[in-house]
Amino acid sequence: MTDAVRTHGLYKQYGRQTAVAGVDLVVPAGSFAGLVGPNGAGKTTTLSMITALLRPDGGRAEIDGFDVWRDPVQVKARIGVLPEGLRLFERLSGRELLLYNGRLRGIPKADVEQRAAELLDVMDLTGSADKLVVDYSTGMRKKIGLAAALLHNPSVLFLDEPFEGVDPVSANTLTDVLRGFTASGSTVIFSSHVMELVERLCDWVSVMSGGAIVAQGPIDEVRAGRSLNQAFLDLVGGGHHNQAGLSWLGARPQEGR
Amino acid sequence: MKTALLFAQLKIRLLGGNLRGDLQRKLGFVFTLLVASGLAVLGFALMSLIRLAPPDVAADITIVAFASFLVSWMIVPLLAFGLDDTLDPARLSLFPLRTRELAVGMFTASATGVWPVAMLIVTSGALVGLARSVGGVLLGVPAVLLQFALCLVASRLITTSLSSALRSRRGRDVLAVAALFVVVLAQLPNLLVNRGLGDPLAMLRGLSGALRWTPPGLAAHAIADGGLTGLAELAVLALVVAALGWLWIKALSRALVTPDASTQAASVRKGGGLVDRLLPDGPLAAVVTKELKYIRREPKFRVGWFSAVVVTVVLVFSLTNGSPDGAGPWLPIVLTSVAALMIALQSGNAFGIDGRSLWMNAVAFGAERDLRVDLAGRHLANLLLAGPLLAVVAVGGGLYARSPAMIVPALLAGLGALGIGLGVGAVTSVLMPYTVPERVNAFNSAAPGQGGQALASSLGAMLTVVLLSLPFVLPIVLGLVWVCVLAPVYGLAVEIAGTRLAAKIGFPRLPELVAAVSKAA
Repeated sequence: MTDAVRTHGLYKQYGRQTAVAGVDLVVPAGSFAGLVGPNGAGKTTTLSMITALLRPDGGRAEIDGFDVWRDPVQVKARIGVLPEGLRLFERLSGRELLLYNGRLRGIPKADVEQRAAELLDVMDLTGSADKLVVDYSTGMRKKIGLAAALLHNPSVLFLDEPFEGVDPVSANTLTDVLRGFTASGSTVIFSSHVMELVERLCDWVSVMSGGAIVAQGPIDEVRAGRSLNQAFLDLVGGGHHNQAGLSWLGARPQEGR
Repeated sequence: MKTALLFAQLKIRLLGGNLRGDLQRKLGFVFTLLVASGLAVLGFALMSLIRLAPPDVAADITIVAFASFLVSWMIVPLLAFGLDDTLDPARLSLFPLRTRELAVGMFTASATGVWPVAMLIVTSGALVGLARSVGGVLLGVPAVLLQFALCLVASRLITTSLSSALRSRRGRDVLAVAALFVVVLAQLPNLLVNRGLGDPLAMLRGLSGALRWTPPGLAAHAIADGGLTGLAELAVLALVVAALGWLWIKALSRALVTPDASTQAASVRKGGGLVDRLLPDGPLAAVVTKELKYIRREPKFRVGWFSAVVVTVVLVFSLTNGSPDGAGPWLPIVLTSVAALMIALQSGNAFGIDGRSLWMNAVAFGAERDLRVDLAGRHLANLLLAGPLLAVVAVGGGLYARSPAMIVPALLAGLGALGIGLGVGAVTSVLMPYTVPERVNAFNSAAPGQGGQALASSLGAMLTVVLLSLPFVLPIVLGLVWVCVLAPVYGLAVEIAGTRLAAKIGFPRLPELVAAVSKAA
């Protein structure tokens, strides 16, 4: 089986600060993969470079065996992306956004309309389909963004913090859609801070810290008997902090002051 | 007093923090400081010079000046600065402050700053200009302070009562367009004076007569009077300031507990337009439909198109001095070409308006051709609107200049200029892309730090367009009218060449393009 994503020494520097220092990310095809790491570990930078939204300073990235920077036509037809920040075409309605996206990729209008209607229905957005995206809530934005990313039936889906700020009902919808998507042999890669979620959804996990991969593999191998949270803390070195400096916190003044 | 001091410090800290580590902003602040102190000195001098006028005229001038200060304080912060950190009460709502403390603090914060100090200096110029007795000076000091307080309180009252509207999307949309109307209104006196309507002294008399009993009128008159009447006027003025202050406190306490209700939005019409049905299905049709919707719904586009029309109209009046007699037969041609240039200039940073949503295109574009189709679609949408508009300008210009024979040549020349503008704009869009700020503001066209780039881009585009248009505009103006037949063809050629060149340069630079238009504004 070929790997859905494979990078070699991906490297990015901002000024004097190295954001990503030689990432070798591997994700087998058909897996539901989690990319975890503390804030500032370089997850977003890595995902942006793999999806050709950010030019790396060094290294290579391949998707389904195609080089991201040398074979953009093949790569861009195969990937779906939901970046962080979620800036969409704000002045289109949800439906118009999907139609625009599908037709921009050359899918015939009739097909796009049908797919858009089904996606809106699954995402529970039919009621708001004709409202402008600028007036959508965070959860609705994530859902319409995911719908736009799925519209052209990509084989690899990249999601940056897809569950952040999403209510439990919408999160459930998102996970159902994503599970069905990987069950058909496609690949999902998403970044997250929430270990419980990664543990519940993923069969493959890559742990980043300080701009590099510190562990990756099937989730049970990485966990090695611990909870993923504990394994993560052990890997990135986040111990218990000395709280002596916060002695006033929680202390209440005496009665009758 | 403690609260006042604290808020003054807070405001100064915020001003300082804004400047830290950013050369561009520091230069901008120095520039502001220079302009403000220059204006303060100049304003003070002018106000003092009023003394040279006869006493009644001096009083009239001061009344009008005070009233116009008040009006500017009420309008300008809304349009030009939006809400800055100290002034948005919502930011302070979590602090345990009583409304009275908050009001004192906010008042201090509003009084702390470069512009308020400049205003105070200018206003106190009236002391020199108007006071003619000891009483006048004695009453003048509180009168100046009250006038200053009036400006601040009125300005705060307006921003506070509108703050919930200003924080909502719709409110800002409306404001962006409203700002332009104010600019147009500001041109009105200019045009009137150009027309030479009446005697300026009589106009001043009428104006000050109307403003005599308004609060700024009372303040100005009190200084000139310097007696018991003045004292009574000041008492009334103080009451007005106190009443406005009370209203402001009320509005403030209401604003702190009123939620933002901007997401209760209406639906948009479903289904594609006529254009979509006429074009063959595919990316081009998708881009054209999207772009037409954006022109209709995005305030930045509305502002752009509206200002293109306004500039053209203003140009008519300045080129002809307000009467059609001075217009030559070349007027329609120049007019239509300038209108086309103004419309095309909006496309000089085509990706800037997409801003941070441009990634959606970037992940879809696999080849140079996709970018070319995108640009062509934008140009086609532009033409669909610009074509009829230019026709109107050509007909209007032709009739106005009494040379209807020039209507068709003017339209053809305009279409040629539009083609050139779009072609050049496509190239500047990929060569010098810059971020258009998220916060809608008609006068703030680039993100902090990219102002130079924006200026270079539009100046470069304008110059290139003018140079490229000369081959057909010059012969037409010189009398070889038949050349205009070639103009649209020439324009189309430049458009195609520009689009191809832009796609060739732009496609390999897509990540950089996305980064350049996604800067935090």
